Amino acid sequence: MSGESTPAIAVASLYQPNLVTRQTGRAVRDGIERLMSERGDTIAVIDFRDVAVIDFSCADEVVAKLVMGPEGGTGDSVPRFVLVRGIREHHLDPVEGALRRRGLAVSAERIGGEPVLLGEVEPEAVAAWRMLSACGRIHTGELARRLGLDTGSCASLLAGLLRRRLVRRDGDAFESLSFSASAVRRSSDRAPRANG
Amino acid sequence: MSKVIEVPEVLDHKGFEELVATLGGQPDEAGSRLLFNAKHVRWVSPYGLIGLLAAGQVSRDRTGLSPRIEAPDNRDVRSYLDRMEFWPAAHEVFDIEPGSAPSHGASDALLEITPIRSHHDVHAVVEKVRERSASILEKRLHYPKPSVIQFSVMLSEVCQNIIEHADADGWVCAQTYNYRERLGREVLMLAVMDVGMGFEGSLGSEHARRYGESWSAAMALEAALLYGESRFRDPGRGQGLQAIRKQVEKWDGMLAIRSGDAQIALVPDWDDYPSMQRGLAAFPGAQILIVMPARTEEER
Repeated sequence: MSGESTPAIAVASLYQPNLVTRQTGRAVRDGIERLMSERGDTIAVIDFRDVAVIDFSCADEVVAKLVMGPEGGTGDSVPRFVLVRGIREHHLDPVEGALRRRGLAVSAERIGGEPVLLGEVEPEAVAAWRMLSACGRIHTGELARRLGLDTGSCASLLAGLLRRRLVRRDGDAFESLSFSASAVRRSSDRAPRANG
Repeated sequence: MSKVIEVPEVLDHKGFEELVATLGGQPDEAGSRLLFNAKHVRWVSPYGLIGLLAAGQVSRDRTGLSPRIEAPDNRDVRSYLDRMEFWPAAHEVFDIEPGSAPSHGASDALLEITPIRSHHDVHAVVEKVRERSASILEKRLHYPKPSVIQFSVMLSEVCQNIIEHADADGWVCAQTYNYRERLGREVLMLAVMDVGMGFEGSLGSEHARRYGESWSAAMALEAALLYGESRFRDPGRGQGLQAIRKQVEKWDGMLAIRSGDAQIALVPDWDDYPSMQRGLAAFPGAQILIVMPARTEEER
């Protein structure tokens, strides 16, 4: 399932200031999933910059279920990644709460671009993810050296992050989703709007 | 001839219990119209206000006839009912002669009585409150700036409880007032009610078998509020109530949820509300009360 292909990216800017209720969340997620499915996109970038209020129910529908995948698992044939952008302090509780309740995690960027991992992840994996995010793209051996780990342990942490779709693999190297998304080969700004 | 239900003079959460007990004492007779006599009401809280609507709705469901209502004599109470837009909501529950209900005046409420029927209503409520709550929460109750959004999230979740679990319409309203009797400070009171299936019914399909005959409204309330259980098997469900609970605790507020014949409450030090009451007069649906006290100078 490691992606050596060029990532195709769907950017979903959530223009609705109040992302509340499950129905609204479902509508937003359906819009994003439809776009990704039609275009074969592999990275969904969800932009929260304009979101003033998001409640726990809506965060569960939009973020947690999108991370979980359409079948509620990771069995889809094309690996799918989710990156949340524009996260502010008041988004954290609902988004983290929704992810933790399902034992999930997502790669995110704060409003200023600082990478942040939201949800439930073991501390060692968080450290590896942070270092990888700081580098953007790195090989296992180099990451192991920077973290002071042996290559086997580092490879195991990366495999775990890859399985949870928190990083991408490109050949022998690993990339943060922010790096992949910023090196957009094909991008278009599509904006699924909630119909709530 | 209508049977008369006397509405208590003080229509707060205790008054609501009296009203429910009185209503419960009436035999369910189809075709027998009730009259809610509110003439002597001299004080009413947001909880009591929508409690009166809920009681009227239950009477209507039981008898098949819209009950009548006698408006309060007290001028202040009448004015409050007008400002909280009681009458437009009452028109949908009670048999009110056209033109007999006063038009509503300018409101200073955080949220007037608003029916909750769909997620569109939740959106409308959140939008309305977001605009108004900044001045009330920050300036009057001295809450920090992020509380405006946290309050909107709490409001959204508590209203969604009606849509997701009640299978019936409900109402919400919120108002600040001076809680002299208990606290000596201003509070924000948020009341949300429905007369739907209630917690026992909602969780029953999934959990009643496990508990057998001991399954009750009190157990359902504990399961939902303390353990985050829901009628859905999906682990993502049931987190709304948990989020409300954490937020109310953080604000040193009070949360009470009444359903069926029980009531569970998170009680702060400043209140002496019982944390669990069983054997109350049965009433359908769920009735939620949240009280958020103004922050003291030390807390700011």
